[in-house]
Amino acid sequence: MSQLEEKTRSQASRAELATGSSSYEHVPPPVNATMKKASQTSKTELLKSIFDSMYVNDGNDQDGKKRIKEHIASDGGYKTREIGYFEYLFYKSLLVILFIIYGIFRYFQFQYNSLKLKIYNIYYNPINTPQLIRQDVTQLNKVPKRLAAILEVKPVGDVGGGVNGLLNDGSKLICWTVSAGIKHLTLYDYDGLLQKNVQQFREDIHIKLVKYYGPSNLPKFAIRIPHANKVYYNEMDENDSEDKKVVIEISLLSNRDGRETIVDLTKTMAELCGNDELKISDITMDLVDSELTQLVGNEPDLLLYFGPALDLQGYPPWHIRLTEFYWEPDNSAVTYSVFIRGLRNYAGAKMNVGK
Amino acid sequence: MIPDKLKDYLEAPFVWFIELIFEIIVEIGLWIKWKKYLFISLVFENKYVVKTTEFIKDILIYTLSVGPIPKHVSFIMDGNRRYARSQRVSLQMGHEAGGKTLLTLVYICKKIGVKCVSCYAFSIENFKRPKIEVDTLMELFAVKLDEFAARANDYKDPLYGSKLKIVGDSKLLSKEIREKVKVVESLTSKGELFILFVCLPYTSRNDIHRSMCKSVLKVLKTKEENKKFTLTPTTLSQEMYLEEFSDKCDVVIRTSGHKRLSDYMLWQSHQNATIEFSNSLWPDFAFFEMYIMLLKWSFFQNIQIQRGSLFSLKSHIRSRCKLFVNKEVNVNYFDLPEPPRAVSVTEKKG
Repeated sequence: MSQLEEKTRSQASRAELATGSSSYEHVPPPVNATMKKASQTSKTELLKSIFDSMYVNDGNDQDGKKRIKEHIASDGGYKTREIGYFEYLFYKSLLVILFIIYGIFRYFQFQYNSLKLKIYNIYYNPINTPQLIRQDVTQLNKVPKRLAAILEVKPVGDVGGGVNGLLNDGSKLICWTVSAGIKHLTLYDYDGLLQKNVQQFREDIHIKLVKYYGPSNLPKFAIRIPHANKVYYNEMDENDSEDKKVVIEISLLSNRDGRETIVDLTKTMAELCGNDELKISDITMDLVDSELTQLVGNEPDLLLYFGPALDLQGYPPWHIRLTEFYWEPDNSAVTYSVFIRGLRNYAGAKMNVGK
Repeated sequence: MIPDKLKDYLEAPFVWFIELIFEIIVEIGLWIKWKKYLFISLVFENKYVVKTTEFIKDILIYTLSVGPIPKHVSFIMDGNRRYARSQRVSLQMGHEAGGKTLLTLVYICKKIGVKCVSCYAFSIENFKRPKIEVDTLMELFAVKLDEFAARANDYKDPLYGSKLKIVGDSKLLSKEIREKVKVVESLTSKGELFILFVCLPYTSRNDIHRSMCKSVLKVLKTKEENKKFTLTPTTLSQEMYLEEFSDKCDVVIRTSGHKRLSDYMLWQSHQNATIEFSNSLWPDFAFFEMYIMLLKWSFFQNIQIQRGSLFSLKSHIRSRCKLFVNKEVNVNYFDLPEPPRAVSVTEKKG
């Protein structure tokens, strides 16, 4: 069925030519949206937005329906009625008070979490030494076969922001993964910036690996871009690298590999069915699974996210079936402590499929 | 010097006294242990206590309902079996307790104003479990379905006016259950206020695969009729089991501490959805915990909405209170009173 795969790839490139590139703006879930902008907004502004909500109607009223409330009628039946003006005002002010209480609670929770993270960062500190990382990992009874991580670009003004910060984060993560002895790593970023800057990324990885292993015995890596069907190796030593074994396989994914790839595959299947090259009864789960594995990659065992609350950001939906998620609440940096704690958590997790 | 024998005699009553006290403490402890449920029921099943907690709950629910509310909430009901094991009751009892929790939570969601609740009742993978357990589960489902249908049609019940849909690969179900599902769905088909989707033999991959097959058929059909039809992610979502709610799920809640989706709502929750994990087992997952989760969502959603808008409460109130605050919000420049006479220092004469 390699025919199916090829046609899907051409389908995808055609779609990209037509629309420029995949351009859906990512809307993060509410918690992340707020936490990410927290550095730019003051507490008074947050308080103001809470008080402003006193008057603004939202939620149910978007449909133009009046608010309804259930109550027990005199005959004992449950009925619904419109909520009165003063009653509405009462509940709304109660909601504002509740929001403020929650906000205060959340503030202390945030402080507690960030203190905890700071302590972890001191406790787990590899200082560019692969031996220490390997020492941490050998204590565990298992490591994931395939690791995935969601990276995101920070605003250019921040520390470690912009594309360079992203590439730096990615190469750091690759060094840790190599040192931990995990063979497959998937890096996902929404806009596909890692894919676009793959040459620079290779250089960055090279520089980082030299820091860890020295220039003489660099481990060999392979970067795969499933969407473009391309593979890159170490740049610097192409002549003598033939005999070396590839230590890590990195695949770069973006939002394009998610829903849209599934749509492309469906289009190709429809085309083939129209030409009588494929029967509808032949489209089985196994076929779809094997095609998507070829187009996107395998399902990871552990997915690390380095943000404040879990946000999958459109990670390929077919590939997160049994994936274990790990993130640290209120964290916002790519740090080693999150990485090793994720692995520890995975080693303690029990898997049972359906049982 | 006291002889050893006398020492023993003096010691004996002392030891006896201490042992007696210990025994009394142990006896009291045992008595409390035996009567524990009596105490609990005395306090928590008291008529007035129950009434006041219900009243407070109601106020909290209506308070939340005036703010932003998620449209689609989804539950992964995990932990019934562990609950049964920890309470040392049969598996069936555990599942029954889970069913009870679901109905109460669904009722709370309906009151808050959530449009749609879906829950992961049974995975296709669950057929791997021992046959006896699968059979008892199916029997339990049949009973619960009947109960729900009866309640949805009873105008005295809080679940009145809700619609029930059983979604999933129904080929895997036995014939009796399939017929029962049909009956129940037709009984509740009039409900408009609220939809409950029960995912019974469901996996998300199966859902995506089915939707792909259906889309292929649709494309072929439109080709024959010479109509234009382009496949997009939205058209693919429309073919899925959860109808209009297939595209997005606002809040996914998974209990019992596992941090994975287990083949549920992959398509719906992989972008801009909030996924919450709770450590308590499903039958223990109660009102308060869910309320905090929804409050958190509402809090942050509220801030997100306010950030985009230019609304200001201060100016709004000011514009409303014309009687007390004598200030027009927008004034014409020429309506302002004349400023004092302008005098220049340099042009001053004598």
